[in-house]
Amino acid sequence: MTQRPAVKVQSLRKAFDVPVRQPGLKASIGALFKRETREVVAVDELNFEVGAGEVVGFLGPNGAGKTTSLKMLAGLLHPSSGTAEVLGYTPWQRQPAYLRKMALIMGNRNQLQWDLPVLDSFELVRSIYRLPRQQFTETRDEMIALLELGPLVDKPVRNLSLGERMKAEIAGALLHLPAVLFLDEPTIGLDITMQKRIRTFVAEYNRKQGATVLLTSHYMADVQALCKRVIVIDHGTVLFDGGLQRLADEFGSTKTIVARLDVADGATLDTYGRSATNRGDGTWSIQVTRSEVAEVTGRLLAEQAVVDLTIEDPPIEDVIERVFSRGSTPA
Amino acid sequence: MTRPSPGRRDPDRASSLRLAALFFRVGAQNELQYRLNFVVQLLQSILGVAAGLVGLAVVFAHTNNLGGWSRPQLLVVMGIFLMMNGITQAFIQPSMNLLIADIQKGTLDFPLTKPVDAQVLVSVRSVDIWQAADSLIGLIIVIVGLVQQDVAVHLVDVVSFVLLMLMGTVTIYCFWLMLASTAFWLIKTDEMQELFQGLYRTGQYPVGIYPGWLRYGITFVVPLAFAITVPAEALTGRLEHLALVGAAGLTLALLVISRLLWRRGLKRYGGASS
Amino acid sequence: MITAEPASAPTAETEPGRFREFRTNASWLWRYYTQFMRLAIITQFQYRAANYFYMIGMIAEPVVYLVVWSTIARTNGGSIGGFTAGTFAAYYIVWTLVRNINIVFTPFGWEQRIKDGELSGLLLQPIHPIHRDLAFFAGWKVIVIILWLPIAAALTLIFHPSLSPTVWQCVVFFLALWGAYLIRSMFLWALGLISLWTTRVSAIFQAYFMAELLLSGRLVPLTLMPKLVRSLAGVLPFQSTFGFPITALTGPITDTQLWHGLLTQLLWIVVGGLIVKLMWRRGIRRFASVGG
Repeated sequence: MTQRPAVKVQSLRKAFDVPVRQPGLKASIGALFKRETREVVAVDELNFEVGAGEVVGFLGPNGAGKTTSLKMLAGLLHPSSGTAEVLGYTPWQRQPAYLRKMALIMGNRNQLQWDLPVLDSFELVRSIYRLPRQQFTETRDEMIALLELGPLVDKPVRNLSLGERMKAEIAGALLHLPAVLFLDEPTIGLDITMQKRIRTFVAEYNRKQGATVLLTSHYMADVQALCKRVIVIDHGTVLFDGGLQRLADEFGSTKTIVARLDVADGATLDTYGRSATNRGDGTWSIQVTRSEVAEVTGRLLAEQAVVDLTIEDPPIEDVIERVFSRGSTPA
Repeated sequence: MTRPSPGRRDPDRASSLRLAALFFRVGAQNELQYRLNFVVQLLQSILGVAAGLVGLAVVFAHTNNLGGWSRPQLLVVMGIFLMMNGITQAFIQPSMNLLIADIQKGTLDFPLTKPVDAQVLVSVRSVDIWQAADSLIGLIIVIVGLVQQDVAVHLVDVVSFVLLMLMGTVTIYCFWLMLASTAFWLIKTDEMQELFQGLYRTGQYPVGIYPGWLRYGITFVVPLAFAITVPAEALTGRLEHLALVGAAGLTLALLVISRLLWRRGLKRYGGASS
Repeated sequence: MITAEPASAPTAETEPGRFREFRTNASWLWRYYTQFMRLAIITQFQYRAANYFYMIGMIAEPVVYLVVWSTIARTNGGSIGGFTAGTFAAYYIVWTLVRNINIVFTPFGWEQRIKDGELSGLLLQPIHPIHRDLAFFAGWKVIVIILWLPIAAALTLIFHPSLSPTVWQCVVFFLALWGAYLIRSMFLWALGLISLWTTRVSAIFQAYFMAELLLSGRLVPLTLMPKLVRSLAGVLPFQSTFGFPITALTGPITDTQLWHGLLTQLLWIVVGGLIVKLMWRRGIRRFASVGG
């Protein structure tokens, strides 16, 4: 285990020049002669370190700079200023030695060959990454088992469903046992079972190989399942960097109890929580603070005729919004 | 751009023309939005034409007669080839490509739900006006050739020429419509398009120089002879009345056949779309 | 391109010496090429019918040239510029093979590659993307050559070419084909890379193709072109991709000229490779700054 952090980011900044186009015929002719651009800052003075073997989640709304940051760490983008070091390499120098130690998986990208059976694509990966036969065969068979790809490996990629394709892509992306894994929205567009399967797999990979994992996601479930630490990003800056528990405690301070009750018309349930809303046909949602959940639930069950009751987490967007509105900085 | 005359008896025809004009104007506006597009396209046109001309120049360097056609007359053929090419690429090809794509993807519904005849609509939807630059250059080349040749050109010849060009355009349009209609059955037509676009090159030279089997092919399979060589014959004093009649006959026949094929395919499409 | 990098897992060998490293790299690269070529053959085999229409459409161009020049030759007393109708036929039939060998990744394809993220995917791999294209099209050629044989047979029956090469000519022809393939791959790759700087590339590409049409021997055998054109063609790579391979087989050509042609090809392969290397480095830096 190295003392040096696996990922080290200092004052990383990325700005794009975006062309500005005006509508109308006259403006179009004007645009032939002079093009206007404006600067869009995607990532602004990013600072953080990730130790070897950590699993860190990047959270933030669309356009927050998560994907841009990941692309810079993968070497696909040059920053406008600042430095980053991954496993001791500067990513955008794209040294083959670095490329062999890392992997970037983006939800909608095909690395496998479309018309070929999956196994053939894997063989190609072996040639590209120069994996010795023994190690390769072991890794490959293990991946196939873990991701339940057995019956699929002889099929061409184009014949697989979206979920199956994603599994095959992940297997293919990890055959060279990278020490650093960048995942960009890995479960987007997949059904619940598939999402769970991939989460388990990534956790297992991290545990077994000691790989460092950085992932971005919209799904709270992804982050909750995998990450002990989250970095919340908006407008390219870090708003929160710390344990997931602390994020939930500090900012996810409310929960919603959704209950189906038999209640007299006109009755309100305001006494139970901060606010109570009648959703119609007997369903109520009650906002309570986290600490109050157990108590309020108990009271409801005792005092009302409860047909059905669930407790919902605040959606991740609400939590993050709270983080934004508090303008928090990393502790 | 065409303007519908108010006295027209057929309101659908008038609205079709108006529609065509509208599409044309919108298409032109769209094109202007792209920076430097017109300069680039003009350059491309000139380059494309230059390639053909250089080929002709090399031929001229070694001979002054090909199959009975003198040098200026070969220029006329090349010019008409370019004019036809420009017209096809500007007014016929874009809509036909769009039609084929729509059939293959199953998105043909938009033109079918309008109160205008579907065939007209799908045929005028898309225009690539810059390609017409080829036609302009072609016309100039034709005129250069006419001036230089030592065969007198009479008004009758010019009238025949214009008629034959019109018929030739219609012929090529019908041909492409039939090709596009096969997409109703075959789905994958890209390769056939490539095949015929390749064969189109044979139109650069008068059809008479090709060996028999090829000549028949490009007269009756791909109607190039009637679209290019025959109009050239009109301007170079070779036109036989039979050819004029033949061209008219072919055009009419193709109009009917292509329309029938289109209707049949449309019916199939309506039944098969999910 | 590929740096000397030993395999990442522990093997029986300890630190490899430089030559060992080179051999290891070379063998991995060879493995990659054979695999990818096999892949290309399989996928292209599946699209066989599509290939055929395309190939038939492609022969219209040389047939036009053939007919025009044969006609000129016949009306000129049987030969023109040293070519008879028979040798014209030979030239343009061999032309069809060389034309197919010349098919490489189109520069127009780069814009799509950048747009749909394929380039990013290629950048993540520790292998230079040009190997992928070289291997893929090389494999494709195997199919192409097989498909070409019946077409060549048909054209031979129709146009009666006169062709009598020596053994040495045949050998050089075979080598020249692959030389042409490599040269054109390099130069068109470099051309395509311009897409990394601007999207307004079609005029540039067209200009290149037109120069190639006139200066390579594709339009007419270069011996029929005026002296100025021939001199220009002598210092440009186009002739090495087209005219030279054809003439190597059809003749008339001396042994010295054959050697000269092969060496010229080698020169252009090297020059092309250097241009690609330079543009790739610059181009990727720009791509990574602008974000693609």
